[in-house]
Amino acid sequence: MGQGGESHRGRTSDGELGAAVARAQDGDEAAFAVAYRLVQPGLLGYLRGLVGDEAEDVASDAWLEIARDLGRFRGDGAGFRGWTATIARHRALDHLRRLKVRPRASALEQDMLDLPGPHSTHDQALESLSTEYALELVASLPRDQAEAVLLRVVVGLDGPAAARVLGKRPGAVRTAAHRGLKRLASRLDAEGVTDDGPSTLGESR
Amino acid sequence: MNGKQSSAGEGGADTDMAEQRGPDDPSNLPAPNPADLGELLAAAVRGGAVDADAERRVLAAFRAARDEGAHRASAHNRRRDDWRPERERRSGRSVRTTLVALVASLALGGVAVAAIGSAGDGTRDEGAERGGPLPASSVPTGPPAAAPNQSAPAQADRGFRRPTSAQDTEAHCRAYDSVKKRGKALDSTAWQRLIQAAGGAENVEAYCAEQQDEKKEKKKEKGNAGKVKPSKSPQASKTSKASKTPGSGATKNSKSKAD
Repeated sequence: MGQGGESHRGRTSDGELGAAVARAQDGDEAAFAVAYRLVQPGLLGYLRGLVGDEAEDVASDAWLEIARDLGRFRGDGAGFRGWTATIARHRALDHLRRLKVRPRASALEQDMLDLPGPHSTHDQALESLSTEYALELVASLPRDQAEAVLLRVVVGLDGPAAARVLGKRPGAVRTAAHRGLKRLASRLDAEGVTDDGPSTLGESR
Repeated sequence: MNGKQSSAGEGGADTDMAEQRGPDDPSNLPAPNPADLGELLAAAVRGGAVDADAERRVLAAFRAARDEGAHRASAHNRRRDDWRPERERRSGRSVRTTLVALVASLALGGVAVAAIGSAGDGTRDEGAERGGPLPASSVPTGPPAAAPNQSAPAQADRGFRRPTSAQDTEAHCRAYDSVKKRGKALDSTAWQRLIQAAGGAENVEAYCAEQQDEKKEKKKEKGNAGKVKPSKSPQASKTSKASKTPGSGATKNSKSKAD
């Protein structure tokens, strides 16, 4: 479980994406726009999880690099997601290095720490899972789990691709994604949000 | 809601992100399972309007790169840009690998044949047997003392002074592990001999280790003697020692049976 629903979203458009990328590599600007629109939402979501509010800027940097290096890329639609995610991640890490802050210490996380309990039963949370709240939840996870969840679920990478982006073994990433989702589910459960939030932050199991 | 406001104040965190959340809708959803949760998360995180300005900038960058020829496929590919599926990438590699392996095996095969020929008729039945399981065992490797396995002098000796098949035993020992893992061919004659010589399948490892030690000692002596000139007397004593081991004896017996 947990794996079935994660990446089919990405895969449904992978064929289209692959074709668009191939045409873009031949110089078709409209095709590049198609690829951009297919990839950008997931990429931006991933970057929001990494750098919070700076995601738009970092994504912009990443896309400049993607646009420049497009001729070097080899692969299909799924591969393009992985390639772009890798570039975005490098830009994000550069950004964080410049800021000299860890990704864990984002504004999102601060919000998460102080979430009031009574409003946070999973029923209410699920009903209104806004972008910001979802990101708060993900940001509350240990870094490796948060990234694994974002890459698998939001960017739509399969396990091996996510592992390659992160430079880890596929098994480790699969486990991290699974644990992250499980932890999120329990966190969405009544009181789960506040009770163990602060004490477990940053821990990686 | 109050808590949220105050938290934003305290932490200096971004307030409007928290404002947009609307957690007040009452509802009764079942507990989320991770797959559903993934869907929800993805929908939520990926949501939001596409920034038209950002897209324009990216497309401008695309045009600029294209027009200055940056998109022409570069001659040397960086591995980090290669996201083709594993098997596609591997197929390219495997042609090379296969060729290298083929060339290597031809070269080694030639050496092996030459070694058999030079060893003379006395080794015929050994040579035939050796040809089967371990072609690589006949590679001449450097000076005798440094050679981990068989060395050229050892081969040359074989034909004349080694009626037993101690070296075959070594080869079998080496091959035994890998064959055992595959669960194949353990019933073939050569393996049966090895097992028999060791006194049972469970003893093969110990037996092989023993053989290995013995061989190392011999090689040390041989290395010293061999550098000057392979003389007969030390070889003879070693040979008799080797043939006393249960392995050699059993091997010889069964071989004569097989013949």
